[in-house]
Amino acid sequence: MTDAASRRSFPRWLDIVAVLGVAAALGFALLTPAERTQGTPARMLYLHVPSIWLAYVAFVVTLAGSVAYLATRRMHWDHLAVSSAEIGVVFTGIAIVDGMIWAKPIWGVYWTWDARLTLTAVMFFVYLGYLALRRTIPDPPARAGRAAILGIVGAFQIPLVHFSVMWWRTLHQPPTLLRPDDMQIDGPLLAALWIGVAAFTVLYVALMRHRMELARIELVSYGEAIATVGPVAGDAVAAPEVTAGRSGL
Amino acid sequence: MSGPVRFWPQASAIARRDLDRERRSSEVVWITIPFGAVALLLIPLAIGTNEKLLRDIGPGMFWVVVLLFGVLTSVRRTSVETPAQRDAVALLGIDPAAEFTGKAMALTVMLIGFELLVGAAAVALYDIDLTGWPWLLLVIPLVAVGLAELGTLSGSIATSVNAGPALIPFLVAPLAIPLLLGATQGIEAIHQGEGIVSWMLLMAIVVLALAVAGVLTARPLQETR
Repeated sequence: MTDAASRRSFPRWLDIVAVLGVAAALGFALLTPAERTQGTPARMLYLHVPSIWLAYVAFVVTLAGSVAYLATRRMHWDHLAVSSAEIGVVFTGIAIVDGMIWAKPIWGVYWTWDARLTLTAVMFFVYLGYLALRRTIPDPPARAGRAAILGIVGAFQIPLVHFSVMWWRTLHQPPTLLRPDDMQIDGPLLAALWIGVAAFTVLYVALMRHRMELARIELVSYGEAIATVGPVAGDAVAAPEVTAGRSGL
Repeated sequence: MSGPVRFWPQASAIARRDLDRERRSSEVVWITIPFGAVALLLIPLAIGTNEKLLRDIGPGMFWVVVLLFGVLTSVRRTSVETPAQRDAVALLGIDPAAEFTGKAMALTVMLIGFELLVGAAAVALYDIDLTGWPWLLLVIPLVAVGLAELGTLSGSIATSVNAGPALIPFLVAPLAIPLLLGATQGIEAIHQGEGIVSWMLLMAIVVLALAVAGVLTARPLQETR
């Protein structure tokens, strides 16, 4: 298979696997026995945890892409950072919204001023700021350099969000998967959760492939647009010729 | 001459330049501080003038005003600098890290002034309980340094960007949350008879991390201008 052909077929297979994986994860989420105390609303766990997991992964990759861009100045790393940040923002938004839907029947309110919730919202806005910054700078290398720095500074939020439930007494439960000590979740529920996490991870890779390709096309079109700019005002004006030893004064 | 030897004189020169500029324009004194005081006046009109309520929320409102209006100071510092001035500083061979440090130093002085004057207004308007006030001698400079570093860093990132004045507050506000938490929760902890040290530590770590980030990223940022 040629490189071009493999490049075309790989995302297609990955897309299919991602869609099937997410469908299977949702199926397991619905078929797994209901949680004893919370009942059906607890099924939100299978969407909520994979979403925030994906957001963490995405923002860590943004950090890695930002550091790599500053070290190498290769635009490929900037494409990695921005693609991952966009996906991370979308999935942080999904985690916040599905968390609110879950909170209403369990806590009685959509939102409470809990450390985890508030810091997750803050993380969402930090990366929204990252994307907003990128939209204001048209020149790709300047945009990449400045965004990379914000991508590094913004990453301080990730451990703050994750460990907030351990550092502060909060209403939000401690981490289900990424906790340093033992996991307290029943076998079938844990299996469904891991399937969800795996499926969302594959979905992330598939989305990244597409978004990075889009970023590459954007860069190429920007270069072509710059190269094909027509005559601009002032083009016809030549600089005055200065001859050595002669002065008009 | 070696780098470290030139670093502090350069940073001091930049700080003096910014402070001279403020002395001539008096923008912080005549615009930002009164604007912050007006905000403190508006809040009771919106939520009610119950004295106990105002005494309870006063410290929090003060720190929110410091965060939101203090950012205006860094926005203004960034927007008055022209590309030609930035080019001149770069061509003079000023170390970008020294430039960052000098700007942050000047902004810290301005923000401390802002905090003291708006703080006096907050105490008068909200009848704030000043129990444990000696800790403010540590909290006020820590918040000022942290906000100054964040403002300077965000200002450098948003330099020459059309939407810069709108973008800087959006970048600074979420990242300043640990400072706001440290300042409000630290003072609250004193009132509750609990320890303040962990909150001071949080603020100190944030200040240190921002200083490192600002110094290390100064040169890459200068190259993207």
